[in-house]
Amino acid sequence: MTTATETAEGAVDSVGQPLLSVEDLRVSFHTDDGIVHAVDGISYALQAGKTLGIVGESGSGKTVSSLTTLGLTRSKRSRISGRIMFQGEDIVAMDDSHLRRVRGNDVSMIFQDPLSALHPFYKVGVQLVEAMQVHRSISKSAARRRSAELLELVGIPDPKRRVDQYPHEFSGGMRQRAMIAMALANEPKLLIADEPTTALDVTVQAQILALLQDLQQRLGTAIIIITHDLGVVAEIADDICVMYAGRIVERGSTEDIFNAPQHPYTWGLLSSIPRLDSPRDEELVPISGRPPSLINRPSGCHFHPRCPYVRDAHRRVDPKLTPVDGSSEHAVACSLESSVRARIWDGIRTGRDAESLVRIAAASPEPEVPAAALEAPESEGTDIEPSEEGVVESERHGEQHLFTQPVDEVDHRLERNEHTGEVITGPEDT
Amino acid sequence: MATYIVRRILWGIALLILVSAITFVFFNVFPSADPAQLRAGRNASPQIIAYIRHELGLDKSLPVQFWVYMKNIFLHFNFGYSFYTGASVLSLITNRLPATLSLAVGAAVIWLAMGIPVGILSAVRSGSFLDRTAMGIALVFVSMPVFWLGLVVLFLFADDIGRFHVFPGANTYVGLTVSPWHWFTSLIMPWFVLAATSAAVYSRVLRGSLIEAMGEDYIRTARAKGLRERRVIFRHGVRSAITPVVTIFGLDLGALLGGAVITETVFNIPGIGRLNLDAINHSDFPIVQGTVILATLFIVVANIVVDIAYAYLDPRVRYS
Amino acid sequence: MRVSRSLIASMAVTGLLAVGITACGSSGSKSSSGGGSSSQSSSQGSSNGVQSIPLKAGENPVGQTLTGSTKKRGGTLTVYSSEDFEHLDPGESYFTQDYGVDYVTQRPLFSYMPNTSQTVSPDLATEIPTTANGGITDGGKTLTVHIRQGVHFSPPVNREVTSADVAYAIERAANPNVANPYFAGYFGAGAPAPLVGAQSANYKGGPIPGIQTPNKFTIVFHTVKPSGSFLVSALSLPISAPVPQSFAGPMDKKSPTTYGTKYLVATGPYMIKSDPKTGLFQGIGYQTGKSLNLVRNPNWNPKTDFRPAYLNAINFSIGGDSTVIGRQVLQGSDAVQFDTPAQSVVKLAYENYPSQITFTQGSGDHYVALDNASGVFKNVNLRRAVWANLDRAAIIKLRGGSLTGQPATHFIYPGVTGYEQAGGAAGPQVPWNKSVTGNLQVAETYMKAAGFKSGKYTGSATVQIVGANNGNDPAIIQLLNSDMTQLGFHTHVSLVDQSVMYAKYCGVPKQEIDACPTVGWVRDFADPLTVLYIPFYGPAITPTNNSNWGQVNDPAINSAMQKAALVTDPTARAQAWANVDKMLVNQAVAIPEDFDNQANVESKDVDGVNELWNTGTWDLDFTSLKNP
Repeated sequence: MTTATETAEGAVDSVGQPLLSVEDLRVSFHTDDGIVHAVDGISYALQAGKTLGIVGESGSGKTVSSLTTLGLTRSKRSRISGRIMFQGEDIVAMDDSHLRRVRGNDVSMIFQDPLSALHPFYKVGVQLVEAMQVHRSISKSAARRRSAELLELVGIPDPKRRVDQYPHEFSGGMRQRAMIAMALANEPKLLIADEPTTALDVTVQAQILALLQDLQQRLGTAIIIITHDLGVVAEIADDICVMYAGRIVERGSTEDIFNAPQHPYTWGLLSSIPRLDSPRDEELVPISGRPPSLINRPSGCHFHPRCPYVRDAHRRVDPKLTPVDGSSEHAVACSLESSVRARIWDGIRTGRDAESLVRIAAASPEPEVPAAALEAPESEGTDIEPSEEGVVESERHGEQHLFTQPVDEVDHRLERNEHTGEVITGPEDT
Repeated sequence: MATYIVRRILWGIALLILVSAITFVFFNVFPSADPAQLRAGRNASPQIIAYIRHELGLDKSLPVQFWVYMKNIFLHFNFGYSFYTGASVLSLITNRLPATLSLAVGAAVIWLAMGIPVGILSAVRSGSFLDRTAMGIALVFVSMPVFWLGLVVLFLFADDIGRFHVFPGANTYVGLTVSPWHWFTSLIMPWFVLAATSAAVYSRVLRGSLIEAMGEDYIRTARAKGLRERRVIFRHGVRSAITPVVTIFGLDLGALLGGAVITETVFNIPGIGRLNLDAINHSDFPIVQGTVILATLFIVVANIVVDIAYAYLDPRVRYS
Repeated sequence: MRVSRSLIASMAVTGLLAVGITACGSSGSKSSSGGGSSSQSSSQGSSNGVQSIPLKAGENPVGQTLTGSTKKRGGTLTVYSSEDFEHLDPGESYFTQDYGVDYVTQRPLFSYMPNTSQTVSPDLATEIPTTANGGITDGGKTLTVHIRQGVHFSPPVNREVTSADVAYAIERAANPNVANPYFAGYFGAGAPAPLVGAQSANYKGGPIPGIQTPNKFTIVFHTVKPSGSFLVSALSLPISAPVPQSFAGPMDKKSPTTYGTKYLVATGPYMIKSDPKTGLFQGIGYQTGKSLNLVRNPNWNPKTDFRPAYLNAINFSIGGDSTVIGRQVLQGSDAVQFDTPAQSVVKLAYENYPSQITFTQGSGDHYVALDNASGVFKNVNLRRAVWANLDRAAIIKLRGGSLTGQPATHFIYPGVTGYEQAGGAAGPQVPWNKSVTGNLQVAETYMKAAGFKSGKYTGSATVQIVGANNGNDPAIIQLLNSDMTQLGFHTHVSLVDQSVMYAKYCGVPKQEIDACPTVGWVRDFADPLTVLYIPFYGPAITPTNNSNWGQVNDPAINSAMQKAALVTDPTARAQAWANVDKMLVNQAVAIPEDFDNQANVESKDVDGVNELWNTGTWDLDFTSLKNP
């Protein structure tokens, strides 16, 4: 994890060059409704062998940013800027054939729903063999043997028989293991896991996470795990980025995030995690409102329409990601004063009621509004009410209140625009 | 899988018998003409007519007639004799079948060869000018009646009556064994006419199916594995998208083997379709019954084959 | 006789220019003279040593040269037809197209030259029997025919034809395995003058006492009643073409007989290509539904025959779409179309290839059959009224104009003896017949005579009309319908497939269909009886397959027909039937619509000759190629 300004070049800690360094990545899509700013200037870095958790709701840009790491968002309608440095090479600038050598080889990705992510017509072994044969010359029989080994590695019993079975013959958890096996077939340095446990039930979730941790230890693979559920990353992430509306709104080590969260959005995420030790009838506290439109984003702080502690200036000033006092890694993008934040968080933690917390915020001095920060060009649209696009989008994808399984993701929609039939992700050449 | 096939075959036989019975009933309960009367001619005495009716076995009760008929088929493979010429129905059918087979199979090969690439190309470049043009042309062909298209093609390209003397025209069909070259050239236009409509349909179906398949998650996975786009499209996309096409193809071909009446008439190809039509005009019931059974047989077989093919293509189906 | 479906259905040609072709029709005037003397005209000169009517160039009313130095021998003619043959056994044939093959491969006792539709010529016979030459004796009840010598069967029979072969040919006709359609009507139980021994309804083939063969070249017929020249004409049907009993006998025991379906021998200039050892032609010269190949009969002696037989081979190509076939003929070479050309083809030919299309008159007629037995039209005055109001000229236009025919004014049509005597083109001048365009006032007088004082029908019955749904028939039916409703009738029109119209409705008396507007008739041979007898004779009504569609059963008419059937003198016979025709007109038993013409197309290098008696299509014995 690097020091926390988005202009930092990926400064080093004592281990060495980061494996992956994302620098001011911006990804936007031109659609019939307008330009969707899916990723709006994010930067982070990941060391080899470490785990980064990227947390956010649908539309936060978390999946798009990871897909972009594999170049899977390239299309006629997408605009990608910034740099993604992997092992010294910029993936954003890489040509397609070079990129294909990286995919599945140095960087692998697993996806949310292993049943639909594996081809239903091919045996699991065949799909694993294919993953291997595309990147190195290996005979079919050798590849088959290795496939069985991989299945065993990920904890699938009776792997020799399983190699010749079809995905629908596996249980959900086993399928995900098989996906992981396939992703690891070529011993990638980086594994990106996009909501790997969302489609699985809770007990299996834990197993998969444990598996990932185990594999990381054994193979030294760096992992980026993308989720909407902070509880998932609590276990296995070393560092966490919280994303909202295409930006990183807070980042830090896992301890920092859980012990001293700074951003009101993070507070909301933490509050909405169901806990085994909380009373059964205690209501989960969702974050009110809906995810913002990425075409017409709210003015000022993009979170302000949903923030319980919003002040007038927040509607006009777009806060930048700034380090939290006393920490090199922990950073937050919020206009509230840090002491105010501390008091509010304290109050949340101790269970004070919401109104009193709001009063704390309201009572604090109004922050200055630097002239330069007034009305930045992309902050168009209204504030409290989500714009038309926002309404349409979230209606399409169902309510996002309770932060349990998302019905669908904006990210997913962007990948294929069903209405024109265009496949948006995917390289331009065919 | 074996029990599945056996069960389907038994069902097929039951269906054949059922269809035969229905045709039988139609011909006897709603007669367009009395075969004995037709044979006996005008002013024949009732005694003569009765005699002929007896000879043709038409004086027995309907169930008995049907039973005799079915028995002849299953035990002796005898489909009866034409009321008109006394020729054996089976020999007539086997005599005409090669022409229909030539026509149907050849057209099928062509429409697949035309429809599938166009469908894939349109899907992969969907929304482009190429796609829109191809689908537009396809729509035009889908809407054309075969009869009209056949005549247009003849009036344009037949070497005897056409505007441009290119291909052999109507009535030039010869068997493959008689002269392979003439067999081939005489079928070029009929093949095209039959294939044009189907190719259009198939390209549209495949296009839609492939566009949908390319939006599936496993395509993303395939790309994430680093596969070349061509492989992704064909091994992952088309492989999925082809199943509905296979299903339609089996049924289309099965139906076509029962005789493409219109094409056979326009181009004067002596196939099963025309045999059937002529027999209907003469109320020559045994031939009609024979061709109906044959057509049903083809469709039943096509259905079974399609089911098996589908199970082969889509492993998820095998367990249902 | 059954004409091709396409003929009955589309004796209609649309969209033609209304240019009358009267050139083809001076047969009217010819027939009057023909009706009198020609049937007697047996030995007026000879050619090839054969006693026959001399053929004069240009005598064919179509304007065609029949013989002469311009004709070239050789070559192969292609004959297109969209329909297949029905029966190639001359003992079973009853269809225009079958006749086309019969008369070039078989030699009945008598047949027709292509320059006449009325006069029979001796074919296998040496001369036409008459009372004058002693052929007809015993008051017309005995007919003696002499057969030529030196006529041989084709392989494998090979031997000379004898009178026994003719006798067997006729006797096998009633065998149910052969089932000749007209035997009963002209020679057997339903005939006005049946052959002795064959008059029972139970006769099912086998020797007929009334046919005797005193020697190898003489055959004698005895009829129960006088038949005279009528029997001569009836024997011009293919039934009298000789059939060898030793060869065909065993085949006739099978049901249906295999003579004519698998095996055949010929006596004419051509034969169906077959195995010379067995006579098997099925699969060799005949592919069912596909083709028929005629080759020269090696045993045919041209000295015994009036047929020139210019062509070396004739190939029938069966099936296909009529519009395509017509064009193939017009734009191709060495081809003719045998079935009726499609309307678009006739138009194309008439406009672009006028030298390649001919129109022959007297190919049949159409009329509106009215139910005389029950319902509204039981009343003769209502029938007259509808006749009076019908616009027959408009019907001709609907069928395609005057090239396709002329309005009919009675029931004996041009080319049939008795036509002129029955009134010729104008027909009997009864009030309801005078205007071919229809006359409402005249119609109303008959409505009033029927008891409807207002001149319009005020009853409650609905007139059931059933017609064919193809070609121009729907338009014609519409015309009739509106002419009827103009008189106040309530009508109900059904359009069905033509065969269904005949088989299920109009041919079934019990259905009591009031009007069948598109029925048609073609005579069987050159005797007026064949035009009037079956369609209008009471006792000819059958419960199914009925051809007396109007169920006409007038005792006076029946008796007149019975008497006319037995008139042996040709002139008197023609007059007698003309009188019957007048009675039919008088009783308005049906409404005549049109006297039809037949259109024929040929390629530019074909020197085609049309015969006139078999609906006026191509005569393949006289047709030749310009560049063989």
